[in-house]
Amino acid sequence: MHQTSREIQTQETRPAPVVAAAAGAAGASGAAVAIRAEGLGREIDGRAILRNITLTVGRGEFVTLLGANGAGKSTLLKILAMLLPATSGHLDLFGERCGLESAKLRARIGLIGHGAMLYRDLSPLENLIFFGRLYGVREPAKRAAELLAWLELSHRAKDPVKTFSRGMLQRVAIARALMHEPDLLLADEPFAGLDAPSMDALARMLTTLHREGRTIVLTNHDIAQSIGLAERAVVLRRGQVVLDEPAASLSVAAVLSAIAGDIVGDAANDAGRGRGGTP
Amino acid sequence: MMPLGQQILLLLGKDLRIEARGRHTVGVVIILGILIMVVLGLGLGAGRPVDGFGASAILWVAYLFGGVLCFERTMAWERHDDALAGLLAAPISRSAIYASKLIANIALMFTLAVVVTPVAIALFRFDLSEAPGSFALVMGLGMVGFASIGTLFAAAVSSSRLQGGLLAMLVFPLCLPVVILSTQVMRHVFEQHESVMGSGLATLAAGDVIYLAASWIVFELVLEP
Repeated sequence: MHQTSREIQTQETRPAPVVAAAAGAAGASGAAVAIRAEGLGREIDGRAILRNITLTVGRGEFVTLLGANGAGKSTLLKILAMLLPATSGHLDLFGERCGLESAKLRARIGLIGHGAMLYRDLSPLENLIFFGRLYGVREPAKRAAELLAWLELSHRAKDPVKTFSRGMLQRVAIARALMHEPDLLLADEPFAGLDAPSMDALARMLTTLHREGRTIVLTNHDIAQSIGLAERAVVLRRGQVVLDEPAASLSVAAVLSAIAGDIVGDAANDAGRGRGGTP
Repeated sequence: MMPLGQQILLLLGKDLRIEARGRHTVGVVIILGILIMVVLGLGLGAGRPVDGFGASAILWVAYLFGGVLCFERTMAWERHDDALAGLLAAPISRSAIYASKLIANIALMFTLAVVVTPVAIALFRFDLSEAPGSFALVMGLGMVGFASIGTLFAAAVSSSRLQGGLLAMLVFPLCLPVVILSTQVMRHVFEQHESVMGSGLATLAAGDVIYLAASWIVFELVLEP
């Protein structure tokens, strides 16, 4: 990579050095907290997807959300990104209560999802300029060109993204999420479908962004990779937090055990049902 | 947050750029419209003179099917690669998304009308000479009402696997009042030779306003990432 994201920021004409503010303003209580979720719940068609999630993430912290398929990781991330409302509890971001209408708070979040969230017929440059304008980025063309150079995609800047490989698309998706220099980066399984070199490159990018002071919340199925990258691991099972520990203190086996408690529990329940005759 | 008008222009510019780049929608819709006219021509017997009332009924068949295709395609742009989630995560109003989609759909439908109407005139020998302006005004108002409700439902069903069939099933019954009103106004103008101003135009315009207002309000609730 030619430049770090921080170096790009220093060249930006945009005022307010986002990262410095995010990491440095960490004073007492609210100022030091990026995410404070209390009793968050989400139901879909009467089925509880998330139950009583209470989670606090400090500014500049790198947290990984782990769990089996259907544990509620993506739903939680969508609520944190204000794409979905919680059906119970409340969420504060950077000390402010948020809802679907909180445009000011949404401007502080960068989101990397399952899909690239890009327009296939447009080039990366056009996509980035479009999203940059949506977020009110000054000189979006300059910022987009800088990010594409950082992600080593300048040579493909004007090709339609529908011609890109999954790894290249993911890099453009990262650039889109970083266009407006967000304080909080939410990444939902960003490694999915990437080949080994692309995974390695993405891991290095996330490490760089974390070192710069951004708050990162990442969901991932690769436990070893996640606890190697993040400072803290939170395990969800059946929509509830069952483990919340510093990543350095955890082993893959411990995380697996927390995740698989569900499976063990299900097996025990199934066995119990079989004996008791409950359908 | 930038002003609503600026948001709408930005989103509309993106939609038009995508369409201009691929012409995915306009080409398909025009071909469909012409095919419908040819099939109707073969079925009804082309060459017999048709007045404005009959013309509006025939053209509505093409506009309805072409319109549904427009509504689906403009929302499909947002569903590829979860682009809609990118929009919903941005600091913009969801109403701006509705307004930009509506304007894009109206533009596409007007393009369809500009191409298909002359084809229909040639096939059916429509006699619109009595009130061509009134004909365009009434059909235009009808299309705005149809597009306002179609844009809303296209967003609502875009995450469903049924999409095409479901959208038509939902939108056709709901837009019937607009279609009936516009053909009735055409009957008054072309058969009873009344002025368009005194023949239900205000009711048609009021219907448009109601559809637009209701869709504008409900749109925020139906969008899901």
